[in-house]
Amino acid sequence: MNKQSQLTRSKLPISGQIVMFFIRHIQHAMASLGELWRNPISSFMTMAVLGVSLSLPAALQVLVKNAETITQSWNSAAEISLFVDEGRSEKSIQSLIARLKVYPEVAEIHYINRDQALEEFQRLSGFGEALSYLDVNPLPAVVMVTPSLKYSSPTGARELLNKLEQEAEVSFGRLDIEWLERLQAVVRLLERTVMAIAALLVLAVVLVIGNTIRLAIMNRRTEIEVMKLVGATEAFIQRPFLYTGIWFGIIGGVLAWVIINLLVWYLDSALAELLGLYGSELHMESLTLAELGQLVLLASFLGWLGSYLSVRQHLRAIEPS
Amino acid sequence: MIRFEQVSKVYSGGQKALSDVNFHLKRGEMAFLTGHSGAGKSTLLKLITVIERANVGKVSINGHDIAKLRRSQVPYLRRDIGMIFQNHHLLMEKSVFDNVALPLIIEGFSHGEIRKRVAGALDMVGLYGKERHSPIMLSGGEQQRVGIARAIVNKPPLLLADEPTGNLDPKLSMDILRLFETFNDSGTTVLIATHDLGLIARMKYRTLTLKQGRVLGAQELDQTDTLSGY
Repeated sequence: MNKQSQLTRSKLPISGQIVMFFIRHIQHAMASLGELWRNPISSFMTMAVLGVSLSLPAALQVLVKNAETITQSWNSAAEISLFVDEGRSEKSIQSLIARLKVYPEVAEIHYINRDQALEEFQRLSGFGEALSYLDVNPLPAVVMVTPSLKYSSPTGARELLNKLEQEAEVSFGRLDIEWLERLQAVVRLLERTVMAIAALLVLAVVLVIGNTIRLAIMNRRTEIEVMKLVGATEAFIQRPFLYTGIWFGIIGGVLAWVIINLLVWYLDSALAELLGLYGSELHMESLTLAELGQLVLLASFLGWLGSYLSVRQHLRAIEPS
Repeated sequence: MIRFEQVSKVYSGGQKALSDVNFHLKRGEMAFLTGHSGAGKSTLLKLITVIERANVGKVSINGHDIAKLRRSQVPYLRRDIGMIFQNHHLLMEKSVFDNVALPLIIEGFSHGEIRKRVAGALDMVGLYGKERHSPIMLSGGEQQRVGIARAIVNKPPLLLADEPTGNLDPKLSMDILRLFETFNDSGTTVLIATHDLGLIARMKYRTLTLKQGRVLGAQELDQTDTLSGY
């Protein structure tokens, strides 16, 4: 019975086995690449399909990223206006400001005293003439509070507002964030749409690679039969197919990156023109090097997964007869 | 080396291929397996190489009970069996060298070792120097000998041949059989399935004759075999 357990052992010494394990992996990886090179047209067709499929989720990622940089600047526009109780002295207002400044949630404070408020109102409202008939200034002093980045989200800003209203000198506060909440809801919806489309396209990539590998397995049916007859393990037989899948993924990923860059380059001039009309200097950003790495890593994983699923299903079905 | 005890095989379609087969091929022995087509020769070889498994009875190869063999262990058993086929199962788009080297690549030998052993195996079958040829360029007899070189290149203890002389003329057939004899002389157990009765008659080796799934005139399992292990 001892012999039974010996059956899985190779005849080589253990150090040789380890070295050969790596050498064989490298050989298989290179051989798979060579195999792709030998059928350039069909290989390229598959890679092009993968590149296009991957470029769509990646393009959406670029879109979301650029949208975020734009909305980021809008988010910080969320300001809280605190109206000070009438009849508070200038001194007590200054002490309020001093206290507000030490709040960790507060990034910036801008004080508008009553006279300034009146001046601004006269200038912007168009009721300037009417106001001059009033004996007293009806406007309260206002402290404009800009929340720190962490508290600039609608919920965070609202939280801060509640806290600030507890201050004795503050009559009430206002936060104009409804539009911000709507914007964020729209952005969330967009993000979710992007995720759903990305998931579908990722599935398409796995299926395309799985199908390509299936055809490759069918083409090499006799070879696989012979290999099984002379004692090849399934791991050995499936390895070149798995590497083929990984190569498809890597090259497809790089292709997607190229497509994205072309797309950004094409759109950027048009966008710059549009933003220029609004006096903005924003430029579209493409994928960073780290994101390229992630894209290629994800693509190679998808390639591996697609070929693994295919190999699992089809390699077992081939048995010598 | 090969031991069958009350082995029966019925295919899933209900076709009865082997019934109650008993025989024992000792280590270092050389024997012929013969019978009409459809008598069960191929099935018997498939049971030895674990392409099929027996429904009833016990098959032991090289001391391993096939019934207890897990699927993942089958490749390692096959590495101990050199197989030669009538249609030689060569990979036509690969060179002679790649074909013969396949079992060694699978076992993970180093490149230098592979080259040495392939050259040795090709020398033994008389095809030294034809490494770079494509099998398509070779004659039928030469192709068969490439198949034999592949079967012996990793020096397996057991050699199985299924109609190895099927497509060859008598002179070439005899050459191939002489080749098997030399392997047998160096200790390899050899089992050759053939329907070429003329060929068998000229050589004095044990013959197992199959008829309708049964072994005719084979010695029953004797007690000394059982005690010696295999």
